[in-house]
Amino acid sequence: MKKSHFIVAVLFCMTILSGCVDRKVIDDVNIATGIGIDKSGNQFLGSIMIPVFKPDKSFGNFTFVSKGNVIRDLVSEMQKKASQPIVSGSLDIALFGEDVAREGLIKTLDVFLRDPSVGARVQLAVVDGKAVDIFKGRYGDRGNSQYLTQLLEHNMNQQNLPITNLHRFLANFYKRGQDPYLPMLKKSNHNLVTITGLALFKDEKVVDILHENKMFYFKLLVDNHILGVVKVKEAHGESTVKSIGLKKKMRLIRRDPYTFSIKIKLKGDLTEHQERMLKEGEIRKVEKQLAKQIARECKMLIEDFQRKGIDPVGFGHFAKSRTRSFDFKKWNTEYKNAKFKVSADVHLIGHGVVE
Amino acid sequence: MNKEGRGVMIQGPVQERLQISPFMAAYVIISMQIGIGVLGFQRIIAKDAGTDAWISVIGAGLTIHIIVWIMYKICETVNGDVLDANVYLFGKIIGNSINTLFIFYYTVTCAAVLGGLFEIIRTWMFQSLSSFWFAAVYLLLGIYIVYGGFRTVAGISFFGLVIPFYLLFSFGFALQYGDFTNLLPLFDHSFIQLVKSGYHMSLSYLGYGILLFFYPFIKKPEQSKKFVHIGLLATTFIYAALAVITFAYFPLGLLEKSIWATLEMWKIVRLPILERFEYLGIANWALILLPNIALSLWVASRVTKRIFHISQKKSVIFIALACLIIVVLISTRERLNVLFDYTALVGFALAYVYTPLLYFSLLIKKKVKAK
Repeated sequence: MKKSHFIVAVLFCMTILSGCVDRKVIDDVNIATGIGIDKSGNQFLGSIMIPVFKPDKSFGNFTFVSKGNVIRDLVSEMQKKASQPIVSGSLDIALFGEDVAREGLIKTLDVFLRDPSVGARVQLAVVDGKAVDIFKGRYGDRGNSQYLTQLLEHNMNQQNLPITNLHRFLANFYKRGQDPYLPMLKKSNHNLVTITGLALFKDEKVVDILHENKMFYFKLLVDNHILGVVKVKEAHGESTVKSIGLKKKMRLIRRDPYTFSIKIKLKGDLTEHQERMLKEGEIRKVEKQLAKQIARECKMLIEDFQRKGIDPVGFGHFAKSRTRSFDFKKWNTEYKNAKFKVSADVHLIGHGVVE
Repeated sequence: MNKEGRGVMIQGPVQERLQISPFMAAYVIISMQIGIGVLGFQRIIAKDAGTDAWISVIGAGLTIHIIVWIMYKICETVNGDVLDANVYLFGKIIGNSINTLFIFYYTVTCAAVLGGLFEIIRTWMFQSLSSFWFAAVYLLLGIYIVYGGFRTVAGISFFGLVIPFYLLFSFGFALQYGDFTNLLPLFDHSFIQLVKSGYHMSLSYLGYGILLFFYPFIKKPEQSKKFVHIGLLATTFIYAALAVITFAYFPLGLLEKSIWATLEMWKIVRLPILERFEYLGIANWALILLPNIALSLWVASRVTKRIFHISQKKSVIFIALACLIIVVLISTRERLNVLFDYTALVGFALAYVYTPLLYFSLLIKKKVKAK
């Protein structure tokens, strides 16, 4: 008897208490999928992109825009304009105007970090121009945010763009001895957005832009897997190589001055060759040429970073992981005198279905 | 019914139909060890020993084996639980006064666990959740489990571990983004720093002390020893693995900011059918914490029954009410932290100071009596 009373009481509680907390019905909220931050005078110009699901199953986009001094302020300004609450649980992409990125991103990203409803896989990118302009375009048929995230993700997984997202960015920022980097986007017309390169940061500020044609070598240095495409030019004409495997070995050879050696072992397929026929031994020549090219370009990149005082490859972090009681204050000066040896080894294992 | 003339015993031995199998003892202990602490211990242990703290996790885990060995010895010596030991050692009045403190300790532990769970749900899921109603319903469930007797409580411990076990796989997503060079160089911290971090770690491990109370409920306690020690190793392994994954996933600067590092690692999980994995994880955590609540309520009410001869069914209601009041009173994170700190401190003292002292006093008293 007593037990049944108890069960009745519990069931009663379950019925009346289930409506006690705030509910968010998916049809009755504005799901923010993209957020853009620009500068407008001294204030921030924020834009939030919301997909509009039309009855005929097609997508539209709507963008809320507002001005404010802090990011949360922007959002509450936008809530005033929205008929349904804007929620951030499904945020896919965050874009920053170049002027904002040059002044620092961490304060903005703190909002994302603090908000438990924002995931760590949010894609970040710096925009050449204004972020709000990108949102105002109309790309693809799956909605703008899908287009933008897929644009970035497929380039990261199968092309030359190094892997980044909110977590990667924050991890690189907070990791001592490494600087973060983000992809750089540009709106080329009303229906297309292009990746134009990489924004390189010093601490939280953009200091340099890496051109898109160097991204392959940059990805070789920072990522562990690469499926990128690279052009090789040698006596017989141009060819392209698609890499399919990467083995990288970084070593700290000496400490005074710090000398690093990087050995890159690349496996790839020849995907295009200008000459009709691939002569005997020619593939070896392409391999050698590409190896030389990789070693040269990577070394140039590293020395360029060194001159600018940025460290996106994470040599500081690497040196720290090999040295007990590492002193980061000294490292800043040591980095300028550091020496780098880059060697590459390319192995082309296939050249398509023709001779 | 009370006195059987066996001198030491306050009450008769527990009937066999109320006892649990030896291997179940391991589940009871693991489920009590894994609670609120798992969600955020990484930041605290990393304060002293940085990324070397995983060594402290293993070290602290190994010290527990000694404490648990002592606990078994205590219970074997008096052939009962710690209440018997206290009465045997200090006589009825002083012994039972000490025993009364356990009621307070486990009531407050129960409230701290519940408060912690509420805090997490409030931060991550429902900002406007009322602590009173949430705690009331949860405690009602706890009372219901205690009404089923210790076998039910042990059964909940079993399910509270086995059902949410799949959550461990979710940390594989964090591995993908982990950078294990974060952990290098190994042993970059002094021994003192490692010990300090080991001390903080030992607070997360607390809960195995419950053995002192449910020992009489184990069928063939001798056989349960190996299961309990394997269980302790499993807990150590889980904590160590989580620490290593966390240190690979978060650089130290970011870890310092993460109050619930374990929860934050779920932010990287993305499943086609589930946008935010935290919601599933936290809902499951309510199940992981259920044994904590049920066991704390059970111990507190059991001690009350043994000392004041009040039926457990009545006392558990009063204890749950006390918990409810505490949970409603600790409405802010600062107060919750104070509560956590004090319960952890008391728990540490009970495990590492009180238990060995009790054992040595017992040994001496036995020798004196034998003469």
